[in-house]
Amino acid sequence: MSKKILRIDMTHRKATYEEVPKKWAHWAGRALTSAITFDEVEPTCHPLGPNNKLAIAPGWVTGTPASPSSGRTSFGGKSPLTGGIKESNAGGLSGQKIAGLGLAAIILEGQPEDGKWTTLVLTKDGVEFKDASDLVGKGMYEVDELLWETYPDTAVIGIGQAGEMKLSNAGISVNDTENRPGRYAGRGGMGAVMGARGVKAIVIDDTGGPGVEIADKELFDLGRRKLTESIQEHDLTKKGGGLPSYGTAILVNIINEAGGLPTRNFSAGQFEGAAKISGEAIAEVVEKRRTNGGYEGMVGHKCSPGCIIGCSNVYPDEEGKHIVSCLEYETAWALGANCGIDDLDSVARMTRECNDVGVDTIESGNAIAVAMDGGLLKFGDGEGALKLFDEIRRGTPLGRILGQGVEATAKAFGVHRVPTVKGQSMPAYEPRAIKGIGVTYATTPMGADHTAGYTIAPEIAGVGGKVDPLSDEGKADLSLTFQAATAFIDSTGYCLFIAFPILDIAKGWAGMAETVAGVTGMSITGDDVVPLGKGILKMERLFNEGAGFTPEADRMPEFMRYEKLPPHDVVWTIKDEELDKVYGWVHNGS
Amino acid sequence: MQGDPGVVSNRHDAVDVLTGEPQARPTVDSQEITIDLALYGPLARFAGGHHVAQRPERLKAGATLGALVARLGIDGSEIGYVFVNAVLCDVPGMNVSRDLCLEDGDHVGIFSRVHMWPYQYRDGVRMSPSLKEALEVHGAMHHSYTTPEQSKA
Repeated sequence: MSKKILRIDMTHRKATYEEVPKKWAHWAGRALTSAITFDEVEPTCHPLGPNNKLAIAPGWVTGTPASPSSGRTSFGGKSPLTGGIKESNAGGLSGQKIAGLGLAAIILEGQPEDGKWTTLVLTKDGVEFKDASDLVGKGMYEVDELLWETYPDTAVIGIGQAGEMKLSNAGISVNDTENRPGRYAGRGGMGAVMGARGVKAIVIDDTGGPGVEIADKELFDLGRRKLTESIQEHDLTKKGGGLPSYGTAILVNIINEAGGLPTRNFSAGQFEGAAKISGEAIAEVVEKRRTNGGYEGMVGHKCSPGCIIGCSNVYPDEEGKHIVSCLEYETAWALGANCGIDDLDSVARMTRECNDVGVDTIESGNAIAVAMDGGLLKFGDGEGALKLFDEIRRGTPLGRILGQGVEATAKAFGVHRVPTVKGQSMPAYEPRAIKGIGVTYATTPMGADHTAGYTIAPEIAGVGGKVDPLSDEGKADLSLTFQAATAFIDSTGYCLFIAFPILDIAKGWAGMAETVAGVTGMSITGDDVVPLGKGILKMERLFNEGAGFTPEADRMPEFMRYEKLPPHDVVWTIKDEELDKVYGWVHNGS
Repeated sequence: MQGDPGVVSNRHDAVDVLTGEPQARPTVDSQEITIDLALYGPLARFAGGHHVAQRPERLKAGATLGALVARLGIDGSEIGYVFVNAVLCDVPGMNVSRDLCLEDGDHVGIFSRVHMWPYQYRDGVRMSPSLKEALEVHGAMHHSYTTPEQSKA
């Protein structure tokens, strides 16, 4: 049975199943959500109006048996935060269950004229449109709990109050194996796009579904074995390795030591309290608060079934009960160092608020830091910062400003130090100190995004050992290659963290490509990764051009060119012409 | 580094961490310096911590990074990234900075082998000349250089 597209028309509350058009037949995950957006969404439409769409797609290998760490779901459409195309992906339960129903993608379109909210229930028998008035106004912790009372063990995709208010920083929650709302397609305001369709939640039950067909099981199994072995061998992803031991927050101390940890709204590159909010500190709290029974704290937690890395954690309170899962690097930085806050409990409670209200932790931390820069609170005021999330929840004027993200907040508070590109705020790597990531921040179609350019094998990147780590030259080619490879990985359904073993261990790289080829029947090898990724980037770039973006959108914030960042006292030095090289090929036919 | 960890075994290899220029050494071994030491991950046990340890460390003037590591009793194979004053000096599997001469007031941060730092998040950071040279030879993009197979991959 071939995969289907499920099109849900929210204007008429009608669902139809369609064959996958030939032009989309080879796409999945990010490639498919971007293709749908490119083909079906007018680039100049208002992101919250009736003509935008929310495309939801699992990756190529998502839902296949025993495929390691492959539970990602992509969410795409036109972003209310950037005004351009957006793909944001999440772990959790949804990807495997959507794939289990035999769906290549779900397209939410239209807008209900009666203004009523709906919960969509997807099963093998079709789509039910349920009145969601009992869920409206509720945060995601309660929504997940209430929905599992009726639909146990299902995947729940939902929005908190921020999505209901259609705030530009609203994310989309996916529940995890413990039915907690910690897995977010957070970036770019896709929660507002879902809210604008009048959908509060989507429940997915794949019981009895057709599952995922595998075209060449022998090839798939061969690739799966290679990839699994490489993940289990690599120092970072193996049992006891860096990621399962300390999570992604393992980077806090490293980036701080390097002088690249944005601190107090990007005014410094080192934070004196970094060690207190690091992955090592999280591990210490988890060990210290261990209780004799019913203890919920843990490291090495898995965010989705089938993950063999386990970089997530469950951060406990003093009594050993879960506050939030997960405290990640970006979150610990955004709500910690960037706000001058070194209290891990405060950071954990703010993260929980983000997950409940339904906002992105990176954009939220940056918005609070900008507001602190503008005098709303003092840097370091964890208690004051925590209360701001209730302002968002209640939809007060202040809460709505913060919930619109960094640029709106900066305007409201008269701040010129605005760390954004294309309207989206920067993650936790200071581009003045770590210049390579700055090229990706500036040029990716997604707005400043740290996941848009992951390293791939040097042979594939075509640079071998010739990269000059200290030179500004050549970073355009490198960034493009990384962006293309990432677009490919985002389409596979694999977690981006397989990038470490597939970079360092040759069989992992081959295995990744072979699993995709095995599932799809396409002839894909490692050599095809970058060309396919460039095809995805081209669609995204052209959509943005249609929306009015020019090369001048690919620029770093002005203050980074003249404000020296301590401790290295560096400014942004990469020339605009170098940035313009990254996407020069789109109209040059190569 | 063998013997008295405060004594430099190869004085001629001492270099400035930023410029790579040969560095003059104090002639009096009894003079002391104090550095600010941070050990991360499992290495924290060598300075009384569990996952993170930070403390001042008194060393003989002219002590090198290698001397510090030896004095702490850390097996070099456990060491990953090393920073001196926010300058990257070592990466996992590529310990090229053992002869760096430490100075009074330096901050030294040493990470365990399990710590990761994806290339895209370190592309363009400040690093010591000797590390830059080593990465240009062996390939800058890998996350670890544990085995020849991994280096070739």
